[in-house]
Formats: sequence, C-alpha cells, structure tokens
Amino acid sequence: MIKIQPKPIEEITDIAGSYKKILIVGCGGCASVCLGGGQPEVDKLTEILNLNFEEKNAPNRAKGCTIERQCNKAFIEELENKVPEYDCVFSMACGAGAQYIAEVFPGTPVFPAVNTVSIGIDREIGVYEERCRACGECVLSYTGGICPVTRCAKGLFNGPCGGTNRDECEIGRGIPCAWLAIYNRLKEQNRLDDIHKLRAPMEWQNQTLRTLVQEF
Amino acid sequence: MERVVNSKEIKSILDEHKDKMKLMLKVCVRCTFCAETCFLYRSREQNPKYMPSMKIINSIGKLYKKKGKVKFEELEKMREIVFHDCVLCTRCSCPMGINIPEMIALARRVLRSQGIYYSYDKEPHSIATSNTEI
Repeated sequence: MIKIQPKPIEEITDIAGSYKKILIVGCGGCASVCLGGGQPEVDKLTEILNLNFEEKNAPNRAKGCTIERQCNKAFIEELENKVPEYDCVFSMACGAGAQYIAEVFPGTPVFPAVNTVSIGIDREIGVYEERCRACGECVLSYTGGICPVTRCAKGLFNGPCGGTNRDECEIGRGIPCAWLAIYNRLKEQNRLDDIHKLRAPMEWQNQTLRTLVQEF
Repeated sequence: MERVVNSKEIKSILDEHKDKMKLMLKVCVRCTFCAETCFLYRSREQNPKYMPSMKIINSIGKLYKKKGKVKFEELEKMREIVFHDCVLCTRCSCPMGINIPEMIALARRVLRSQGIYYSYDKEPHSIATSNTEI
C-alpha cells in the first residue's frame, strides 16, 4: 500500500497561519493503515494546530474529519457541504487523494499535511519498507521477486554492476546489493538462466501521466 | 466507565441522507445477488455475515430503525461489521440499484463521529488472518 508520513508541524503551521477556518481531512484508506493520516492523526493535528493558535491568541481554528477514501469521488462527495464553509483544506491522504480533493473543490486552497513516501510493505506496526516505484513495467518475474528499480541504488535492469562490495552497494550506508540478492534468490530456485536474459532499457513511463483502464 | 453515545449527532448525520437511505433499505428484496459479488463472502466459505445485504441491515439499517438511539455496545458490534467484515472495495453490486458502499460509508461516518473506527496500530492483521486464503 501507499505509505505516507506527516509533514513537520512547522511547515503546516506556517501555511495554516494565513487561513482562519481550516479543515483537516483524513483518509480511511492507505493513509490510515500506515498510521499517518487516519482519524487519530487528524485529531492529533487538529489539536496541535488549535493549541498553537490559542497560544498566539490567533483567531484561526481548525476542525477535522475523515472520509473513507480521498481517491474516490463517491467518498469525496461527503465534503460537498463542508468544504465551502472553510478557507482552506489540509489533506492527510497521499498525493493522489490531495489532488483529487483539489480538483473537486477548485475554489478552495488544498494543502498536503503529509508527504507521500512510497509503495511498501508492513514489516511491523509502524515500520514500512519500500518495495515498488510503480514504474509500469514489472520485471519481478526475471529477478526472483526482488525489484531492481526499487532496491538497487542505481535502478539497474541488468546487474550487478562493478560496484558490489562485500554484499553491499558501493554507495555505502549499509545498503545491500539488490543484484546479489537477486542472484542468490535465482540460484536457490535453480533459475540462474533468468539473470542472463538481458532486459531492454526501461522506457521511463513513470515520467508521463498514466491513466489505467482495467479490462475485466 | 460507560462511554456515552451522542444520539443527537448520530441522528443529525442520518437525517442528512434519510430519504435515500430509507428507500434503499426498503427496496432490498433479499435476493442474495450482492453476496455473489463480495469477495469476502465467496472466500470465507459463504459465511452469511459477509453478505453485503446483512452488513447494511445490521449497521445502517439498525441505526435508522432506532433513529440513532443506540448503545455504545451496539456501535461496537457495528464497527466489527463495517470496518472488519467489509473492506469497502466498492465491487459489490445490486440488481435493484442499491448503493451498498455508500450505505457502509455512511455507517462508518456515524461510527467515526463517536470516535469508533478501525485501529491499525492495535489490530492490523486481524482481517488478513481471520480466515482461510483469499
């Protein structure tokens, strides 16, 4: 799922200070699962902002609510009567959710209250590891289920490079070499032939706007 | 200490959608077609608790029937239904045109208004481990 992280409170207060009535909108989807933008996080941010305003004797006030998903218009409709009553909206969903809210309410400034970090796995509660960059051309079939785009520091499609240094990437910082892991996994599965199958350079479709129409 | 339910707040949310929701609850003919479109129902040995019609009747249906005057324990039971037994994938469909996801979402909104929701820091894997493979 998509993983998000709350922005530093200073960044939020800096923007919020210019608006008197602030609506903080949480998301019941991925943002809730990774404990970054669900109802408890909305309540917490609302409280922090209001305490901040009260300390400064500022008239600004924030109110929070959480909708089921910000990436689906059917759920955004719940905000139709609410948003016009506020001067700005802080979205606690991923970038897609925040943009959809901004699109549905073009007359109201919509700000992200979180940073969208990655598509990742839940290692344990509160610990998430990136596993996918949504490159649009999955090669996991050939790489033993280890993504070279995400886990190789150089994003190499045909590795390893010459920079493998004792299981680690030459860039250091304790980063394991993804291609060594791919080699070991393929060897374990007796599929080392796959590593010889050269892959064409990636067409970086990620850099163009992709719309998916799923056939089912 | 017993948690207090703000019935007035619940009723005000219910009233916003009263006509539409009551109509949708009324037109359900219990045909069970929606059950066949629910992946949880199909993958969990067709346990009737996962039937979308059952989920709406026992959550938003009950809220309207009791005009929002429900006990905290009843809301806790509904929480299990709308947050645990339904993932709101929006793939369920009804031949009568009932918008099941909209009804579940409204039930969730009512529960959220009372501070009742799914706690991913306390029960993150209960959906995944509650039954057999999907």
